[in-house]
Amino acid sequence: MLSYEPGTTLAHALDPRTKLAFQAGFAVAAFAYTTPRGLAALSVLALAALAAARRSPLAAASDLRFVFPILLAAPLFEGLVVGPPWFSLAQARFPALASYRVVLLLFVSAAYVYTTSARDSRAAIQWLVPGRSGRFLGLGVAVVFRFLPVLVADLQRARAAMRARLGTERSLAERIRIVTTAGLRRVDARADALSLALQARCVAWNPTLPRLAVGWRDAPVLALALVLAASPLL
Amino acid sequence: MWARSSAWRPSAPVTEVFNEVDGRVKWDDTTAVTGGGVAVSADTEDVDLVGAAIVENLGRVALFAALMGAFAYVSFPNPFSPAPVTLQVLGVFLAGLFLGPVWGSVSIGLYLAAGAVGAPVFSGGSAGLAPLVGSTAGYLWSYPVAAFVVGAVVHGGLSVGDPREAGVVRLVGAMVGGTVVVYAMGVAGLMLVLGLGPVAAFTAGAAAFVPAEAFKIAAAVGIVRSDAFVAK
Repeated sequence: MLSYEPGTTLAHALDPRTKLAFQAGFAVAAFAYTTPRGLAALSVLALAALAAARRSPLAAASDLRFVFPILLAAPLFEGLVVGPPWFSLAQARFPALASYRVVLLLFVSAAYVYTTSARDSRAAIQWLVPGRSGRFLGLGVAVVFRFLPVLVADLQRARAAMRARLGTERSLAERIRIVTTAGLRRVDARADALSLALQARCVAWNPTLPRLAVGWRDAPVLALALVLAASPLL
Repeated sequence: MWARSSAWRPSAPVTEVFNEVDGRVKWDDTTAVTGGGVAVSADTEDVDLVGAAIVENLGRVALFAALMGAFAYVSFPNPFSPAPVTLQVLGVFLAGLFLGPVWGSVSIGLYLAAGAVGAPVFSGGSAGLAPLVGSTAGYLWSYPVAAFVVGAVVHGGLSVGDPREAGVVRLVGAMVGGTVVVYAMGVAGLMLVLGLGPVAAFTAGAAAFVPAEAFKIAAAVGIVRSDAFVAK
């Protein structure tokens, strides 16, 4: 599971908007240069992003392991041909490069997730999307961050209760229905309590968020993001 | 409303205008401008409370988005294939069924935004911008569209009614439509991002998962028609 951890690395010190811009620029460059040379250069950047967050690529790969089956399967399926020699390297080449490109994209965005707190992300969202829609989005995102672990625990409790009552003997659709109904009822109760609590504490359209500031460290990263975003035109 | 002249400032003439709203004195830059004075930003001068109706909607919509994220952590063994059944697509159906087409897709949009900025809500506890442009892009972008389709078909328009009033055929039809949207966009995403042909993309991205959707549709129909959970 990917999640934020407090720290004092270079990536932690960067402005969240800088990190978002770098991810966007990196994605543009990765789609424009899906060639062995292009991806080799981008690999260096992706590893540098993880190094700036003081994370090893192996740790990141282990956090992202669920995506690997499809990335491995893609070139294998595409390379299959009917009749001998049964597998075509030429056909599997581009999907293999494209799968590798996705791994690099995942590494760069993992570096963001490891080093950016929910409050900083919220401030970046509200800077990016102006007006009340941005504030609504920011508030909603903050609620999702806060309630995700709570609802995961609710669903786990529902499953444990179902197992204890021999629910595992029921059909799959029945089991899904039981767990989901429990989740929905918890959501309903929590939504009522949450909106009451928010109103009691005077939830406002203009809350105090961390003040974002682009510092001297951001300048080279922002420049690099711009170069990457403009790279297809080079 | 009244105006008050203030101390002299370099850009005279200066008139700060106050606006009384609900017994509170509130800065109002539009009246300040129309009053012929210098506009004063309203932003940090007063607390602008979020209305009760919006807070209630926000709580429900955001918690639904969080539930959608929590569903990524619930998987059941699939009797038809080695790929386990996760409940993400069921979350999309339920958003359309219980929140309606508009708020349902807003809720799924919040889910995507929260995942993009680092809440571990995507399949396998993944997060970040990369899932939205990587191999899962097609599925993730299809979710708000599918929630809209399910909601619009079940409620027969943009307004939200009681999903129990829709017949079984309509419920199942809406969710089959939602499933088609999810897998069509998911397979298209695989073709675009991983450079696969349609056959390989369907084999890798849909064949193993589509049969399990029948269980989710059956479960969703069961939820809507039972009294265990009644939407308010």
